[in-house]
Amino acid sequence: MDSFLHANLPLAEAAKSEGIGWNIFVYSGLTFAIVFGFVALARKGLKGRVYTSLPTRLAEHLFLFLEGMTVNVIGPQGRKFVPFLLALWSFIFVGNLMGLLLPETPTADWSLNIAMAVITVVYVQWEGIKANGLVGHIKHFAGPKLGGAMVVISGLIFVVEIISELMKLVSLSLRLYGNIHGGHLVRESLDTLIAGIPLGGLLLPLKFFTCIIQAFVWTILTCTYLAIATAHGHDDEHEGDHGGHGHEPELAHA
Amino acid sequence: MESIAVGIGLAVGIAGLGVGIGQGLAANGGLQGMARQPEAGKQINNAMLLALVFLELVFILTFVIGILLVGKIH
Amino acid sequence: MNKYGLIGLGVVLVIIGFAVKDQSWTRPEMFAGLELDLGKTITNIGVFLVFIPVITMYFYVPLKEAMDARNNELETTFTDVEQLRTQMQTMKSDYESRLSATEAEARTQIQSQIKEAQALRQQLVSEATERADTMIRQAQLEIDQEKAHAIATIRTHVVDLSLAAAEKVIGENMDSAKNRRLVEEYIDALEVAS
Repeated sequence: MDSFLHANLPLAEAAKSEGIGWNIFVYSGLTFAIVFGFVALARKGLKGRVYTSLPTRLAEHLFLFLEGMTVNVIGPQGRKFVPFLLALWSFIFVGNLMGLLLPETPTADWSLNIAMAVITVVYVQWEGIKANGLVGHIKHFAGPKLGGAMVVISGLIFVVEIISELMKLVSLSLRLYGNIHGGHLVRESLDTLIAGIPLGGLLLPLKFFTCIIQAFVWTILTCTYLAIATAHGHDDEHEGDHGGHGHEPELAHA
Repeated sequence: MESIAVGIGLAVGIAGLGVGIGQGLAANGGLQGMARQPEAGKQINNAMLLALVFLELVFILTFVIGILLVGKIH
Repeated sequence: MNKYGLIGLGVVLVIIGFAVKDQSWTRPEMFAGLELDLGKTITNIGVFLVFIPVITMYFYVPLKEAMDARNNELETTFTDVEQLRTQMQTMKSDYESRLSATEAEARTQIQSQIKEAQALRQQLVSEATERADTMIRQAQLEIDQEKAHAIATIRTHVVDLSLAAAEKVIGENMDSAKNRRLVEEYIDALEVAS
C-alpha cells in the first residue's frame, strides 16, 4: 500500500516536492509583462473617436464590466474602487490563463494569494475608515447598538467580527489557491493515468471557465466587503433601506 | 499511515458529495428564479454565483486539509 | 496616503521580503503542504503595492479620460444633431407652408383661367349662334323673295299660255283685255282655293 501510494499518487509527490519556491517571481513577472503589454496595446487605440483595435475594445469592456459590478453591488459611490478591482482582476485573470498552458502559475501559489488577500482586506478596512471614520469603523464591528448588560454581547460580536475579517483573508486566498492548484493537480493526475496520453487536456474548458469565475469571484467579493465596510451607519432601520443587498451580511459571515 | 490515505479519500469524497448536492440545490434555485423572472437575471446570477462560491469554499477547505494530510503520509 | 507613498512602501516591503528570505520562521511547519513562505508573501505585498498604483496611472486614468472625453464628444454631437433637427423641422414647416401657399395660388389662378375660358366659350358660342341665326334669316328672306318672284313669273307664264290657248280656241275677235281679266280672276280664285 505504501509503495503504491508513493509510486502512483502525484498528490503525494507534489506535496513532498519543494514547490516552485522563489521561481514564482519569474511567472508573476511574466504575468505583469503580459498585463502591461496588453495595456500598452490598448493605450494605442485610445486616440480614435471609435475604438477599433481589439485590445482597446476589450479594455473598455473590462472597465464597463467592473464598473457595472461595483455600481450593482455598492451603488454609484462605488466607482472610485474600480482601479483597484481592475488591477486585481487583470492580474488574477492573466495569471489563471497562464496556468492553462504553463506548468506553473503565480495564482497557484498560496503565498502570493495571501499577499493579494492581505492587500484586499487592508484596502477594505482603509476605505471603511475613510468612509466612517476610525471610531465609526470600529463601532461597525460591534454590531447593532445594545444597552445595559448587553454590552458583553457587543464585545462578543466584536471578537467574532474580527475573526471573520481574518477568515476573509484565509477564504479569499485559499479559494483561489485551491481552485487553481487543485486544477493543476487533477491535470497532472490525469496525465499520468495512461502514459503518453495527456488526458488532462480534456479539463482545459473547465479550467478556462474556472479562470474567469475565480477572477470574477475575487472582485465581486471585494465589492461585497467594500459595500459592507463603507455603508454609512449600521442601524436596523437604515439597513432596511438597502433591501437589495440584504444578502450581504449573511454572506460575509459564511 | 494507510488510514490517513483512506481518511483523505473519504474526506474528499464526502465533501464532494455534500457540496455537489448543495451546489445543485443553489443552482436549481437560481436557474428557476432566472427562468421565472428573466428581467432580474443579472442580480440572481450574481447572487447565485456568490452562493456557489461559498459552497465551494467548503470543498476547498477539505481539499486543503487533504493536502496538509498528504504531507503526513511517510 | 498618495500613490508615491504606496510605491515607496511597496519597494521597502520587497526589500524586507528578500532580506528575510532565508529565515526559518518564514516557512511554518504547520503549512508545509501548502508551501507557505512568508518572505514571498511580504515581497508580493510589496510588488502589488507597486503594481496597483502603477497600473492605475498607466492604464485606468488614460482609459477613463479617453472614455469620458468620448462620452462628452458624443453628448455634444447629440446636442448638435438635436439642434440641426429642430432647425430642419422649422425649415420643413416653412417649406410646407410656402408650398401650400403656392398651391393655393396656383389653384385660384387655374380657376380664374377656367372661368375666363368658359366665359370666352359662352361668348363665342352666342356669337356664332347669332351669326347663324342672321344667316338663316337672310336665307329665309332670299328664299321667300325667290319664291315670290318664281310664283309671279309662273303666273305670267300660265296666264300667257292660257291666253294663247284661249286665242286658239275662241278666235281672233275676242276682246283680249276682257278675257285676260276673266282668266286672272279665275286664277286668283284658284290661288285662294289652293
